[in-house]
Amino acid sequence: MKVLKKEKFPQIWQAINQAYELYLPIEKDDRVNFAQWTEGETVNLEALKTEISPKDVIFPQSETYLKFESDGKKLQLESVESENREYVLFGVRSCDAVSFNLIDNVFLREPIDRLYEKRRNKGTIVSLACSEPEENCFCSSFQIKPEEASPGVDVAAWDLGDKILWKPVTEKGQVLTQKFAQLMEDASQQDQEELIKLQNAIKEKVKELPLASVDPKVIKGELKEIFESKVWDELSQSCLGCGACTYICPTCHCYDIQDFAGGNCGERFRCWDSCMFSEFTLMAHGNPRTTQKQRFRQRFMHKLVYYPNNHGSYACVGCGRCIEKCPVNMNIVKVIKRLGGEG
Amino acid sequence: MEKIANKVRETARLALANGEVNKILGWKKGDFWYDSYPAFITEEEGTASLIWDSFCVANLSKYLIEQLKEDIKVGVFLKGCDARAFNQLLKDNRVDRDKVVIYGLPCPGMIDPEKVKKAGLAKGLLDVQKSEDEVVFITKEGEQKFSAREFAYDKCLTCQYPNPVVYDELLAEEVERNNTTEYFYQDVEEIEKMSPDERFAYWVEQFSKCIRCNACRNVCPACSCEKCIFDNSKANVAGKAKVDSEEQFFHIVRAYHVAGRCVDCGECSRVCPVGIPLAKLNRKIIKDITEFYGEHNAGVNPSLDAPLETFKLEDIDPFETRAKGGK
Amino acid sequence: MSLENKQISSENTSNFKPLIVAFCCNWCSYAGADLAGTSRLNYPANVKIIKVPCSCRVNPNFVLRAFQRGADGVVIAGCHPGDCHYTSGNYYTRRRFTLMKNLLEYVGLEPERFKVDWISAGEGNKFAAVMNEALEQVHKLGPNRKLRDARWKR
Repeated sequence: MKVLKKEKFPQIWQAINQAYELYLPIEKDDRVNFAQWTEGETVNLEALKTEISPKDVIFPQSETYLKFESDGKKLQLESVESENREYVLFGVRSCDAVSFNLIDNVFLREPIDRLYEKRRNKGTIVSLACSEPEENCFCSSFQIKPEEASPGVDVAAWDLGDKILWKPVTEKGQVLTQKFAQLMEDASQQDQEELIKLQNAIKEKVKELPLASVDPKVIKGELKEIFESKVWDELSQSCLGCGACTYICPTCHCYDIQDFAGGNCGERFRCWDSCMFSEFTLMAHGNPRTTQKQRFRQRFMHKLVYYPNNHGSYACVGCGRCIEKCPVNMNIVKVIKRLGGEG
Repeated sequence: MEKIANKVRETARLALANGEVNKILGWKKGDFWYDSYPAFITEEEGTASLIWDSFCVANLSKYLIEQLKEDIKVGVFLKGCDARAFNQLLKDNRVDRDKVVIYGLPCPGMIDPEKVKKAGLAKGLLDVQKSEDEVVFITKEGEQKFSAREFAYDKCLTCQYPNPVVYDELLAEEVERNNTTEYFYQDVEEIEKMSPDERFAYWVEQFSKCIRCNACRNVCPACSCEKCIFDNSKANVAGKAKVDSEEQFFHIVRAYHVAGRCVDCGECSRVCPVGIPLAKLNRKIIKDITEFYGEHNAGVNPSLDAPLETFKLEDIDPFETRAKGGK
Repeated sequence: MSLENKQISSENTSNFKPLIVAFCCNWCSYAGADLAGTSRLNYPANVKIIKVPCSCRVNPNFVLRAFQRGADGVVIAGCHPGDCHYTSGNYYTRRRFTLMKNLLEYVGLEPERFKVDWISAGEGNKFAAVMNEALEQVHKLGPNRKLRDARWKR
């Protein structure tokens, strides 16, 4: 285990940036979001949650993979390979780190999504434990431990005030650590003790959170029964049908494929899509879900029933972003509680 | 506000009990101090959960489009801006006045949870109470008092119509707002002063935050088309790629499409999850309309023609040519 | 975007051929263009004319789409106010595009890149003059990158 002093941050950002692309929570106009670091940006590692989840780094909002051009007779196709270098994603919270695994479950199973796989493999993820969980956090409902490194991260880090504790977990993490070891020191016995203290403090704080009692297991019964529940009519009434929840969500991963057509050339790209939109999964025969109720149900059935049936875990990590961002304060916590019979 | 809240509950209960309406649209309280959310109530006992507080910001009038597809009579609680929105929907033939009973709520201005969070007051906050010009934050440790203006939504700070312009029953005495119009166009004028390149850089930066979630469109009471052109794949207008020009295209069309019909409720700016100041586009159009065609406050008087629905022979003509040539 | 703009403006603009899209009313300006042609008046070949049944047929989307897909300038030409073939179409045009033009300038477009003008069927001279002026001004400004889709290739 290593220790990295915060005063060394500017140095290490510069150093990492030379060998990798570096993504950090960056503050702009009072808002913190993951973005590629460049000299002079304000890094904010104190803010607990970025406004939008960092899934954009591993699964960009839109991504071109094919270009085409026609000279009138012949159509030329060109596959677009991403030119990205290896990247380091620094400061990912436990919930967001787990969300990457959930997206992996979809994209890295046969048939493997090559575009995603390539980008994913280029990344080294450094997590940062949540010293101050917020009131709308409910990751513990999904057995996520904000005081520990989530499975899948390469380096785990903890904030100890004027320094961070740095623990490589995977081989990739070791490589990263070795590259920049001259900027770090070995952790002392005292640091280790402080870590345990911090972890215990976080555990206590998490227990005290107002949403700590949220439990998705209250949703019982057969799929068909849940699907046909009257609750959906009631809950979906207030849904505006915007895609804010799906686009800020760390686990939503649906996408659409579209063409940008120019005169005699163009590109094919894929981009995020939202099950809240009326043209989502539009097919030749029309749309299988024609009402907002059906679309609303789809989103939550996917997260709380279908995905668990397919992959064995819930497709929500309790980050609480939808609680904060829904224009009408409808969110997954209300859905879980109501499906569990509350209210 | 608690006194009025009691009246809200009583009014709703009576309306359902005597069959005046089949459904009530109001607000309920969720898990958090800021969590006031739309409620749809059909049973008399359900009305006990209705509330009226400083976080009832969600506009209920647009829900009427969907609700009135059933053949029912709906009772709805509307604030000043919501009532203007209702009138606009009426004018756009999206709701049937006869099927709606409006309970008007004079609005003292709503509190912006983001401002509370930014001031570092959100931690451990249990309740927020507002009286006249004061707001009281209540935590386990005690109470803290502040000026309410400090935490009001930006849109409330320039609000000119806090009292409902249309209602069947008014549930409280009209409030007096002393918002002057002096700062109404301040944001717009700041942008107008920039050079074209500066203005473009400003908007590119703002628009590039856009994640294309459509919240601004879906919350807008003037955006009530059966099928939006951006949802119509056959129209070949929508492009979901995250590129600058698509974002510019979307936001210019969105703002322009509601020109003359925008009720200036500021909901677009409020709901934007990434904080694009969208209302600054709409305000610009309102400013130009006022300057060129006279003041038009959409949704205040639905019998007036919207500026783009009509014309005058003597309208200003900024295009009268400077090019020489003639016949 | 701004970086791109700088690069473009520093480019040598001498071989820059502006592309102007002109929406012309079928009943007047389009005939005006015809007259300009038959009178052998000079107007630039890089003005691409799109015939519309009335200037009020022009949806603001069309203007944006033109800029998005490579136009360096856009002109809408309709009948003089009072002369509309459909009696009142161009009065609506006047209101709509007064607001639209201001909005486009508000988001940063140079005023010279978008114009509206009234050109009757008899004004071949005026048609040529308007187009020449538009072209000249756009040429001075250089290639447009604002609102342009970077994926678009001419």
